[in-house]
This record gives sequence, C-alpha cells and structure tokens, in this order.
Amino acid sequence: MTSLSRRSLLQGVGVLLASTALPAFSFAQALPTGGRLVVAADSEPRNLNPAIVASNGVFFVASKVIEPLAEADFEAEGGLVPRLAIAWEGSDDGLSATFKLRQGVTWHDGQPFTAADVAFSALEVWKPLQNLGRIVFANLESVDTPDDYTAVFNFSKPTPFQLLRNALPVVTSVLPRHLYEGTNIAENPANTQLVGTGPFRFAEYKPGEYYRLARNETYWGEGLPHLDEIIYRVLPDRAAAAGALEAEEIQLAAFSAVPLADLARIAQVPGIEVISRGYEGLTYQLVVEINHRRQELSNLEVRRAIAHAIDKQYVVDTIFLGYATAATGIVPHNAPEFYNPEVPQYEFDIAKANALLDAAGYPRGDNGIRFSLKLLPAPYFNETRQFGDYLRQALAEIGIDAQLVNNDSAAHQKAVYTDHDFDLAVAPPVFRGDPAISTTILIRSGTPAGVSFSNQGGYESAELDSLIDRAAETVDTEERTQLYNELQVRAGEQLPLINVAEWGFITVARDTVLNVGNNPRWAVSNWADTAVQQ
Amino acid sequence: MSALARFRRSPEGVIGLALLTVLALAALLAPLLFPGDPLRIAGPPLLTPFTDPALPLGTDRLGRNVLAGLVHGARASLIVGLAAALVAVAIGSLVGTLAGFAGGLVDEALMRVVDAFQIVPGFLLALAFVSVLQPTLPVVVTAIALGAWTGPARLARAEVLSIRERDYVAAARIIGMHPLEIALREILPNALPPVLALSAVIVAGAILTEAALSFLGLGDPNIVTWGSMIAEGRAVLRSAPYLSIVPGIALVLTVIGTYLLGEGLAAMLSRRERQA
Repeated sequence: MTSLSRRSLLQGVGVLLASTALPAFSFAQALPTGGRLVVAADSEPRNLNPAIVASNGVFFVASKVIEPLAEADFEAEGGLVPRLAIAWEGSDDGLSATFKLRQGVTWHDGQPFTAADVAFSALEVWKPLQNLGRIVFANLESVDTPDDYTAVFNFSKPTPFQLLRNALPVVTSVLPRHLYEGTNIAENPANTQLVGTGPFRFAEYKPGEYYRLARNETYWGEGLPHLDEIIYRVLPDRAAAAGALEAEEIQLAAFSAVPLADLARIAQVPGIEVISRGYEGLTYQLVVEINHRRQELSNLEVRRAIAHAIDKQYVVDTIFLGYATAATGIVPHNAPEFYNPEVPQYEFDIAKANALLDAAGYPRGDNGIRFSLKLLPAPYFNETRQFGDYLRQALAEIGIDAQLVNNDSAAHQKAVYTDHDFDLAVAPPVFRGDPAISTTILIRSGTPAGVSFSNQGGYESAELDSLIDRAAETVDTEERTQLYNELQVRAGEQLPLINVAEWGFITVARDTVLNVGNNPRWAVSNWADTAVQQ
Repeated sequence: MSALARFRRSPEGVIGLALLTVLALAALLAPLLFPGDPLRIAGPPLLTPFTDPALPLGTDRLGRNVLAGLVHGARASLIVGLAAALVAVAIGSLVGTLAGFAGGLVDEALMRVVDAFQIVPGFLLALAFVSVLQPTLPVVVTAIALGAWTGPARLARAEVLSIRERDYVAAARIIGMHPLEIALREILPNALPPVLALSAVIVAGAILTEAALSFLGLGDPNIVTWGSMIAEGRAVLRSAPYLSIVPGIALVLTVIGTYLLGEGLAAMLSRRERQA
C-alpha cells in the first residue's frame, strides 16, 4: 500500500522532474570510486549531533557520519530501507516495537555496535533531549535487549507503529554509548567531533572555512562509500554558491543555495544540472499563521475572506517560479499516505472575499480600509519574505491594511511564539512524514508560550484537539489515517491557519556528480552511493 | 560680487541644483504621478524596461512598477537625508557652540562625548540602533543623525573659538548680555555658514546610509526605498540586472547632485571673492 503510494508520489512530482534532467543513473558496479566531493554549506550548526538536534542543517553534515535505524527510499516496501536496523515490527497493541539490528558494524573508533547503543540512545538522548524524539518517544518506558542485536521498545501507552516507522529516518540517529554514558550528553565533545557508524568519518572542522569528512574504510556496506572525502565549504552568501559552481570550486549546492531566480540561467551553463528530485521527504509548507486573540481574526468569515484573497497560483508561479505546488490543506501532496484532497477549498476570488467581510460586519471606512493588521513574515527564506510583501498587497485589495514588521530570526521567534505580538505571520513549517510530528503541533491548543513553530495563535477547538488526541493513541494504521483525514477536513473548514503552498528544495550540481537525489531525503541521507566522475 | 552671482558662476552648484530640483519635484509629485501604494502589483513580474509604455522601467520580481518605486523612493531618500542632516547639524552646532564658548571643563566634557561617538563607525551605530528599535522612519533618521552630528560639532567649535575673541563678542559681554544669549545670538549665527556647507556632505552621507540600511533589510518594509529596491534586485542580479542598476543610478545622481550643490554653496558662502 505504501509502496504504491510512493509510486503515485513519484508521478505527482513528475511535473517538477520534467523540468530537470534526471541524474545520471548508473549501476553500483559502474560507478567510479574515489575522488573528492566539494559541496556548499550555508550554516555551521553549533551542535552537530543529529540525535539531539534533528534538523536539516545538522543532518546535511552529520547524516554521513551518524546513521539512523532506517532511511527513506523511493522504491522499497514501506518507503524505508534498512540502515542500522534490518527488520522492524510493531505489536498489535502498540505497546512495543521490535528492531533486529545489523551485525558486524563497528563504530569509527573500532568499538562494536550493539543493541546497548540503541537502548542508550533511545532512553538517554532521543526521548529526553531531542526536539522530535520528545514527541515520538514520549511514552517510551524501557528498551529490552534480549541479545546484542535485538532491541525491544516498550511503551507505557499505545504508540502507533505507523508514526514510529515514518519517524525512523529522522529521530533514530544512534550514538555510541561508550562515549556518552555517564557524561553530560548535551556538552559532550563528541557532539562536534562526531563518532558514528556511517560511511564517512568526521575528519576536520575549520570554523568559517570547511568541514571535512573522510571515507570510512570499515563501513558495513559492501563496496561503499564511493567517495574518498566530502568537503563542506562554508559559503553563507547565496550569490556565492552559484558563482562557485560555475568556477568549479564546488560541485554541488543543495537546499536551494542557488536562488530560484538564478536557476533558469544556471541551467543553461554547460556541465551544470538543476535537480529538484531528492527532497520529497522534506516538504516545506508556506503557511499564514493567525493570531486568534485578535477579535477580527477570531471571526471565521474573516479568515475565509483572507483565504479567498490569496492567489495561490500567483504565489507558486511568481514567488516560487514554478518550483512549488499550491496547497490544498494542512497535509501536503508529498505525504500520499495521509493526503486528503477532499477538503474545503477557497478559490481566489476578491469579490467574494469583500462580500464576506461586508457580511461579517467590517465595512470599509472612508479611506477604503476595514481594519489594520500587523504582519510578520518569517525571515528564514527569501520566499517567505516575498510572500509577506505579496500578502500585504493581497490584503489591501480586500480593504485590510497590513503593516509589515521585519525582524531577524531571534526577534521573529520571540515576537510570534513567545510574546504573541502579531496578527498574521508567515511561517515555513516542515512536513516530516507524519502529521503527529509536523502538523498537529500547529493546531493543537495547550502548547505553552515559547515553543517555536507551534500553535501560538491562541486557536482552541475542542473538536480538533480531540481528533488529534485520538489519532495520537490509535494504533491501527487505517483508523489512524482516517482520523487524520477528518482532521484535514475540519481544519479546512475552521482555518486555524491558512496553507498556501508546498515546496521542496533544489540541488544544483556539476554533471560529474552521480546518484544525486536518488532518495526522498537525499541531501540529509548518507551519500554512500554518491560518486564523482574523475 | 553678490552671493547669488557667486553661486551662479560655479557650474557645480548649478548642475547640483538642477539635479536636486528634478529629484525634489519627483518626490513632491509622486502621489500625483503614481497614486496609490507604489508596492502594488501592477503587471507581470520581471518585465524588462522599455517594453511596455505603461511600465516604462519594467517591473520587479513581484510585478511592481519600478518607475513608481523610483519616484516614491525619492521621497524616502530625500526625507531621510534632509531630516537626518537637519538633526545632525542642529545638535552638532549647538554642542559645538556651547563647547567652544564655555571652554574649560564643559568643553572637555562635551568634546569627549563627541570623541566617544566618533570612535564608533557611524554606520555600525545606525545598524545597532535600528536593530534594537523597530525600523520606522523616525528611528532611521535618529540612527543616521547619531553618527553624523560630530562633524558639525567639531567645525562649529573651531569657528566659535575664533569668533569669541572678536570685538563684538567682547562688546556684548561688556553690555552685560547673558553668556547663553551671546553664544546663541551672537556667535552661533556667525559660526553657521561653514557648518551649512558641510551639511550637503551630511545629506549625501545620510542618503547612502539609509540605502545601506534598507539594503540590509533594516529599513521600514512598508515604504519603498532605493536601498530596498537594490536589495530586492540583488537576488536576480544575473538575470535582471536593471532592477539593481536603475535605483543605483538614482542614488548616484542624488548623491552627486547634493555634493555639487554643497560645492556651489561653499563657493557662495566663502568670504573671499573668487577671481575668475
């Protein structure tokens, strides 16, 4: 069932793919070995430990060194291929999950990898310390290790195996117990000098210059990795990445390091390919967050009017230059397992929006303005800022005067998620494969102030809350999916927030780099099969 | 030769005045020439200049009229430039006059404050000030003035030091005028002309600083400025360079115009007549 939907997912993104040359597909035997891959890195995370900070910026470097139990895959059954686990199974009551682990794996320092490492990581790191693990493993009670290669997770309350499975690539980076046990985990030097089981060893880090990863000669994967080393050159300036690619100083720039507006031009440069494949598991959603404490916005008709005023197609075509899809609801197209297209839609219709506002009791004043709002676009992406500019104009069309407030990241997060000092905000949340670790936190009430990227708009609906709570404890996959389907419909009716578009990132690479984008989380996967033609 | 004649005889001044007149007209007439919000979406995105007569300078990435932005941007640039220079000259000449006239401890204290402000690069000061407070127009003006008032202060003090030894100042003292009155009514007006000539440079600097702040995203996002236009255009510099070049040219012309006008003013205000 899942593999089927993965395939339909592939068709879904076919339009995007059509615009790009497919990466050169070669068989493993034919791939060249050796060589160095130089890629652009736009940030230098302070804590590089993916078991603690499960974010793309960290995974981009760390996923080559520290491996999860399983990785996402386009073709494999269930959408997952084994990494440190070779088999997994959940119990029918949702109270336990069993993982069979890979044998013969050694850590980069020579110690053997065993189930004790998994048990330690789960209980001491993922559950208490990790941003996402806190949710997924909230009810994890103990991990039994009947032998060195079996780990049995025991939960105090039913935990849906569907959620565990979907979260495996993101939340299960395994740490070496022998280096972390008995230390202050958050301050351990191995958080920056990583030690893992992955295809590459962490060799060197020069702040402001580069990270260097070197081939792990004792990697468990036969004949892998292909590369001798990977260099992450720190290039914080986006314009620099395109120039460096053309000058062949770097061979690959992931995560849209090359601005969208530059893609059409750089695609014409001989030897350079623009690749949109490989981000299907990392879908970003463009969302308008609403402060429901504001009296006008607590009115459903006003929220519907705002939804009608946004021309999603314009946003996709002009702001994302076609490298995005118009959103239909709170779950993106790229999550076919959950995506429900049958939700209320708000087509672009200015007249209707104006009529809704008139009927809601907010007539235009003498200056043509109904009321004023404070609009805070998130500063993380060019696109979120540009959408802020657009939204201000779109709201002006329906008589709402939106005053833009630009902040840096820290000030933006404080204003929106702690001080609630906003009326509308533009946010780019990530869909992480399962609504329970991506979508519900944006809707569920009761999150304390200060939790970034959560529902801080004061939206409260007993109906939606109960749907979310029921889904969180429903073990049966079908039943759980059904609950999320209903949640999508209810959220579409109530508009706790407005979903505008969904987008993945773009990789730009020299055509000498092979096997780019061959899994749904490619940029944050282990790159064991990536190769460079000499 | 009269002052006006001296001004007319300096070609710099005339060119500068002409440039600034055009700019001021554009700024004043902006709401008539392009009514409504200049940030409104007016056409297809990234229209190249000179292709659509309704949008002579083309459109930016969101389809906003570049010419409308340019004309409305002139307002922001001029308002910020003039207001910042006014604040800077007012504070600077006041502090300078007081320091020069009072002398002694007051002078020492005030000039150390001036030193303290001069040590910090003006742009960094403005950057810090704006990022702490919200980037609204008054805040931006204050931020720029903060870094610019020290020049007029030093100049005014130097002038005052020479003026206060003149006979008419001594006379004012003898007839029993209050020292503050002497400072403000007798000395300040005479110390002003060279400071005013300096103000043209301050205006030019303020316009550039404002553009740089907007370029870094620290301008008021609800109004269009040349700096923010250049910043917007930067993302598409390779495919649509005109988006950065057009406001860039406007900025260059404005700064040159202000500078030339300042030259002309300096010539006009110079006490010695120039021999042609």
